[in-house]
Amino acid sequence: MTSALPAPFTVAVATATVLGCLAYLTAAARLRARGDAWPYGRDALVAAGGAVLVAGVAEPWGTAPPFTAHMLTHLCVGMLAPLLLVLGRPLTLLLRTAPVPLRRGLVALTRSRWATVPALPPVAALLDFGGLWLLYRTPLLSVSHHSPWLNTLVHVHILLAGVLFSFGVLALDPVRHRPGYGLRAVVLLTAGTAHAVLAKSLYAAGPPGTSFGTADLHLASQVMYYGGDAVELALAAVVAWQWYRAGGRALRRAGRAGAGGAAAAATRP
Amino acid sequence: MRSVLSGVLTGIGTAAFIDETVFHQLLHWHHFYDKSTTDIGLVSDGLFHAGSWLAMVAGLVLYADVRRRGTLVPRKWWGGLFLGLGGFQLYDGTFQHKGLGIHQIRYGVDLAPYDWTWNGIAVLLLVVGALLLVRASRTPSRAAPRTEPRTPSRTR
Repeated sequence: MTSALPAPFTVAVATATVLGCLAYLTAAARLRARGDAWPYGRDALVAAGGAVLVAGVAEPWGTAPPFTAHMLTHLCVGMLAPLLLVLGRPLTLLLRTAPVPLRRGLVALTRSRWATVPALPPVAALLDFGGLWLLYRTPLLSVSHHSPWLNTLVHVHILLAGVLFSFGVLALDPVRHRPGYGLRAVVLLTAGTAHAVLAKSLYAAGPPGTSFGTADLHLASQVMYYGGDAVELALAAVVAWQWYRAGGRALRRAGRAGAGGAAAAATRP
Repeated sequence: MRSVLSGVLTGIGTAAFIDETVFHQLLHWHHFYDKSTTDIGLVSDGLFHAGSWLAMVAGLVLYADVRRRGTLVPRKWWGGLFLGLGGFQLYDGTFQHKGLGIHQIRYGVDLAPYDWTWNGIAVLLLVVGALLLVRASRTPSRAAPRTEPRTPSRTR
C-alpha cells in the first residue's frame, strides 16, 4: 500500500504555490512603491508558508515509514503552511492592491453573511477536526489510498480546512465579525483537545482498514501530537498577542483622554 | 486578583510542562499513550494537555498586562503560581492516576511510595500557595494600584 500523492496533484499544488507567492510579493512591492507600509516580515512568512506547502506535497521524507510520511505531509499541508500563509494577511493585501472591480466584489464577499459562516471559528474547527476524525476513524484513509482522486480530494480538504481554521481563529484579515477572544480561546482549547485525543488514540489503533507497522503508528501519532502542540501554541500566542496589543491601545486612549481632560480643566478659568 | 489568576495559569502551564518533559521525555517513566481505550480518561488527558499550553500563554500575557498597568502584586502572583503547580499535580495524581488509571507515575514497581511522594508534594505546594496568599492579603500591599495607569511612553 502506498500513500504517495498523485504526481499531477503535487505539480499543480507546487506551481500554484509558487505563482501565489510571486503574486503576493509583487503586490507587496507595489504597495510599498506607492508609499504604503507593509512589513517585510509578512513577505517572509508567506514565502516560508509556500516553502512548507511545497515540501509537504513533494514529500522529501520518502524513506520514512508510510504512515509517518503521511503525517508529516498532514502537518505541513494542514497546519504549519496554513498558519504561516494566514499570518501574511493575504486577504488584506488583496483588498488593498486588487483592481477596483475585483476589490468591490471582495468587500461584498467579506461582508456577506453566508460567505463568512465557514470562517467562524467553531464552524471552521468542525470542518477541520471533524474531517480529521472522519479520515482516521472511518475506512476513508484506506479507501483513498486506492483512489488517486479521493486522495487528492482529501489533501485539498486538509489544506483548505487548515487555512480556514487559522484564518478564523487568528481573525487578522477583515471579515464581517471579528470573533471575541473568549470564543477563540474556547475553540482553540476544544480543537487542541480533539487533536490530542485523536493522536493518542492512533498510537494504540491505526485507521480502520490499514495495516501500518506498530513502530510506524507510534512515530506517526507522536509527530501528530507534538507537531499539533507546536502549531496550537503558536496560534494561542498570536491570539494572546492581539489581546495584549488591544489592551495597550485602550490604555493609551484612556491616558490621552485623561491628559486631554486634565488639560481642558486647567485652561478653564 | 489578576496577579493571582496570572500566577495560577502560569503554574498549571509550568507543572504540565515539567511533567511532560521530565517524566515523559527524559525519564520515560510514564508515557505519551498509556491506555487509550478509557475514553473519558483520554479526553480528560487531551483537554488538560491542550489547556495547559493555553494556560501558560494566557498566564504570561496576563502577567505582562498587570505589570504594564502597574498593578502587579508579586506575592499574590507567587501564591497563585504555587496553587497552580500544586493543583495540577494533585489533579494528575488523584483523578488521572488513581481515579481513572489512565497512566501511573511508574510501571513495574511498588507504586505506594511514588504516589505518596507525588501527592504529598502537591499538597505541600498548595499549602505554600495558600500561605503566600494569606500573607499577601494581610500585609498592605506595596504595589497598591496607582491612580494613573502606567501608559507606554509612545505618545502621538
